[in-house]
Amino acid sequence: MSPMRKIIHRACFVVSRTVYMTCCCGCCSALRPHYKRLVDNIFPANPQDELVKSNMEKLTYYSLTSPEKLDRIGEYLFQKASRDIYRRRHGFVIIAMEAMDQLLVACHSQTLNLFVESFLKMVQKLLESTDPQLQILATQSFVRFANIEEDTPSYHRRYDFFVSKFSAMCHSNHADTVTRDKIRLAGIQGLQGVIRKTVSDDLVENIWEAQHMDKIVPSLLYNMQTAEKYETVSCMEGGGGAEPPARLAEACLRELVGRASFGHIRSVLRPVLTHFDRHELWIPNDFAVHTFMIIMFSIQAQYSYSVVEALMQHLDAAGGHSADPRARTRVRAARATVLSNIVAIAAGDSVGPSVLEIINNLLTNLRSSVARDSEQKETDEKLYQEALINALKEFADHLPDFQKIDIMMFIVNKVPSIQRGNKGTKADAMLQSILLKSLLKVGTTYRTVELSKAFPAAFLEALLRAGGAGEAHARALLQRILHTLLDRRDNAPRLLRASVEYAELGLTVEKCSRQDLIFISKHGYALFSSLYEGLQLESNTMENVEAIYTTLALICIELGSEETVCDILQLILAIQQSGLTNPVLSVAQQCQLQAISISLAALIPHVMMLPRLGEYIHKIIAARREEAPHLLPPLREDYDDLHPSKMPSKLPYLMMDLMALCELLKAAGIEVGRLSASSPYAAGSAAAPHRHSWVEAGAAAGRDSLAELAAPTTELDSANSSPGLQRAGGAGEAVSLEALRRAAGGPSPAERRDAERRRATLNNAFRTAPFDQLLHITQPKYEIKDKLEEIFNSITEEPLLPASGSCSPAGQKSYQQNVPPYTKYFPELFLY
Amino acid sequence: MEDYKFLFKVVLVGNAGVGKTCLVRRFTQGLFPPGQGATIGVDFMIKTVEVDGEKVKLQIWDTAGQERFRSITQSYYRSAHALILVYDISCQPTFDCLPDWLREIEEYANNKVLRILVGNKTDREDREIPRHIGEDFAQRHGMYFLETSAKEAENVERLFMEIAVELMEQAKCKELPKYDGSLGPINGKTTSVGDSSCCLR
Ligand SMILES: Nc1nc2c(ncn2[C@@H]2O[C@H](COP(=O)(O)OP(=O)(O)OP(=O)(O)O)[C@@H](O)[C@H]2O)c(=O)[nH]1
Ligand SMILES: [Mg+2]
Repeated sequence: MSPMRKIIHRACFVVSRTVYMTCCCGCCSALRPHYKRLVDNIFPANPQDELVKSNMEKLTYYSLTSPEKLDRIGEYLFQKASRDIYRRRHGFVIIAMEAMDQLLVACHSQTLNLFVESFLKMVQKLLESTDPQLQILATQSFVRFANIEEDTPSYHRRYDFFVSKFSAMCHSNHADTVTRDKIRLAGIQGLQGVIRKTVSDDLVENIWEAQHMDKIVPSLLYNMQTAEKYETVSCMEGGGGAEPPARLAEACLRELVGRASFGHIRSVLRPVLTHFDRHELWIPNDFAVHTFMIIMFSIQAQYSYSVVEALMQHLDAAGGHSADPRARTRVRAARATVLSNIVAIAAGDSVGPSVLEIINNLLTNLRSSVARDSEQKETDEKLYQEALINALKEFADHLPDFQKIDIMMFIVNKVPSIQRGNKGTKADAMLQSILLKSLLKVGTTYRTVELSKAFPAAFLEALLRAGGAGEAHARALLQRILHTLLDRRDNAPRLLRASVEYAELGLTVEKCSRQDLIFISKHGYALFSSLYEGLQLESNTMENVEAIYTTLALICIELGSEETVCDILQLILAIQQSGLTNPVLSVAQQCQLQAISISLAALIPHVMMLPRLGEYIHKIIAARREEAPHLLPPLREDYDDLHPSKMPSKLPYLMMDLMALCELLKAAGIEVGRLSASSPYAAGSAAAPHRHSWVEAGAAAGRDSLAELAAPTTELDSANSSPGLQRAGGAGEAVSLEALRRAAGGPSPAERRDAERRRATLNNAFRTAPFDQLLHITQPKYEIKDKLEEIFNSITEEPLLPASGSCSPAGQKSYQQNVPPYTKYFPELFLY
Repeated sequence: MEDYKFLFKVVLVGNAGVGKTCLVRRFTQGLFPPGQGATIGVDFMIKTVEVDGEKVKLQIWDTAGQERFRSITQSYYRSAHALILVYDISCQPTFDCLPDWLREIEEYANNKVLRILVGNKTDREDREIPRHIGEDFAQRHGMYFLETSAKEAENVERLFMEIAVELMEQAKCKELPKYDGSLGPINGKTTSVGDSSCCLR
């Protein structure tokens, strides 16, 4: 452009502006600036006709060559369109918008910024009209704009009008449903445009602010919830063409969630939760499940835990407007079900602290549910608990095995201990049974390979402790947990009822491994004596007896071997004996014990090559079948019609005989020294010496550091293991284990003597003291459980229960000085 | 043409069925819609009026009264310059809910927002709320008060005009940034419009 023309141009502009202000009739078109004429020329004479293409090309060319004019062109187009909207000449409005679109796309330059202001004013103007066609047109233009990358976006530009208006459009209630859907679709597209335009640059507009999210999120959900049915797919493929609003809304939500960084997730989730409350979308919960699955699938994996967390914290929130407590409980249950549906997705991405937090939170919710309704009158409350337990299971199911054990440890230590005799409150009992149920659920997700991994010492101890207390039903639950952890070969379902006919059961038996033998040598006694004691309880139902039978049968199968057979038989004989002599047991219980002891004995020849033992047992079985079928399985609830002469104690010749068994084993080449030695099981005694030392070890752990604790425990352990087994334990892995423990600090001679003396006194006490007194002594010195509770509470505050590997022997020194409570209390966990 | 001087945002709230949408349509379109359906979410209308020879653009956001939409409607309170709280003079429950509405407004709206209490449907024979009861309530809570009939076009124009006048006065006396054409309305951050607690008329 020549300098001369430029000057004229300017002059014209000044003149035309004044003229325009006074009489906008266009009478002085000769004086109009060039750009205005160019703009005027793109409009056809008739508003029904289309944009004049050739003139539009001229205008575009002009804009490209004189970009400094672009803002005036934009402003002029806007003015024209405003007038045309006012005069309802919509054809011209559409053409003006189209022209602006084309200029926007054509003119990628630094001056675009000013043009954009007019462009957006135009879009807003059209959106303000009541005509759906113009609103939709404006939205399309806006979306086109949103897809353009501006070199220097204008930081003072605000989008609240667009968010507000597009959200309103998402709720269009136009009488004509086709138009309504078009407007809603446009609204969603518009929101998507705003999100794309702003999300990458916080300076432009922080789209994550509540004022925006509270409009965008409900608008999307409102459109999604009207869909016919909800099929969740893990990701959406971009399907073109006319999409129904529901589909686009879902895609938009996915995009939004996918772009949310950690700090923004809450601002998306909060309106989601509010929307579900307000619109009462929890029941039925298929839409809620659908939505939360979508969120889980689209959120950046490392944040998926936040969704679980938010939903968990919302479980108890007062939702909707129903004050009816029963309705509230139902909503709670529905939320928990949604939780159980998504928690598995989070499990894969959760790490250390978040795992325990999730578990802890679920347990806390269970606890408050029990507190609300310990009578269990409310079926809704029960449903809620079921849903929570399911969520626990779903979550655990997707965790690696070592974390499952951590979780089980965590749960078992939350179980309120109910002392024998002292029943505890009803709520305690309820909580106990619910936690055990949870534990069972988690347990079923664990696949045992090595028993020592499934039963770290502290866990086993806690389990056995819980097994000796509580109501009959809770004790049976505990056995069920043992079943699921012991049963590696899927035999448990076949061993639920006591039987003597094993041949037809199709049991799977394999030789037990070295590691297993080491495990049983370390823990066999504790396990056996706890099970034995479990059979001596007056309150036992048939369910209890049978559950313990199953546990023992599984032990036989999993751990039966030449090294263990003596211990197992010794236990069986002790059970048989207690069924004759324990005065607290009812006749039914006595008969049941006879039946399970012979059943267990009959199982042994199926696990090991001991044909002559089999013959012997079967002779007894045959004799009982003739004379005393009540001493054989199946177990019965009552044996009321039993003639006094048929009482088990009156039939000594139908019992298994210790000497006979010894002979049979000896003949098979098995060392029977231990079997023939005096039985450590005392009928009617509530606690065997070993058990006491076990408790002692726990108590010691409460007081002493790991270093002081390790050695005495080991000493007591091995002292109580039978000598033969100790040999087995001394080999292989146990050596390194022992070494590890010693590395943690060997016992001083004084400590050794101390331990020795303690043990001696104890043994003496058990030999001489009356039963009552024994019971008294064996009460833990103080409540271990309370201590544990304290520890676990401190764990939840102190975030991470480190992976077992992190406490390597190399790090031993440092962590002796600064021992975290959990390593102190569960040293075994950290030594393995 | 885009030659207005002021832009104000007006939000209508109140129970479902009190006639919010009818009021807005009467004002913006000059009609009383037969069989007006319940509002879903939020509706939007625009009207430019003239005050003292100056053009004032009113952006009117008409919210749904139904509870389930409360979550989204609340998000519109924040940027409002004026909030019109409507009840139905022939329906006691709509009046009884006013304290709840005030609580919501308190929580979500700008505390300087101009608040107007409107008793609608004065044309109806079965009045349940006497005028002075509504007036008292408004007085106690520092609100303007007006009774209207969307059906008979009574006081509707006046309602919005008074809002425009009041907001403009506030804007002028506080010398708040006026609408400036070159920046465009979208950048006009919502300016709080002065204190409205005084001067009940
Ligand atoms: N007699 C009379 N009826 C009215 C008046 N205003 C509204 N109505 C009627 O009241 C009913 C509800 O009016 P709407 O304007 O839809 O009420 P709303 O407050 O917008 O309701 P929501 O959108 O559900 O919050 C309709 O049937 C109207 O015809 C009025 O001034 N007088
Ligand atoms: Mg309405």
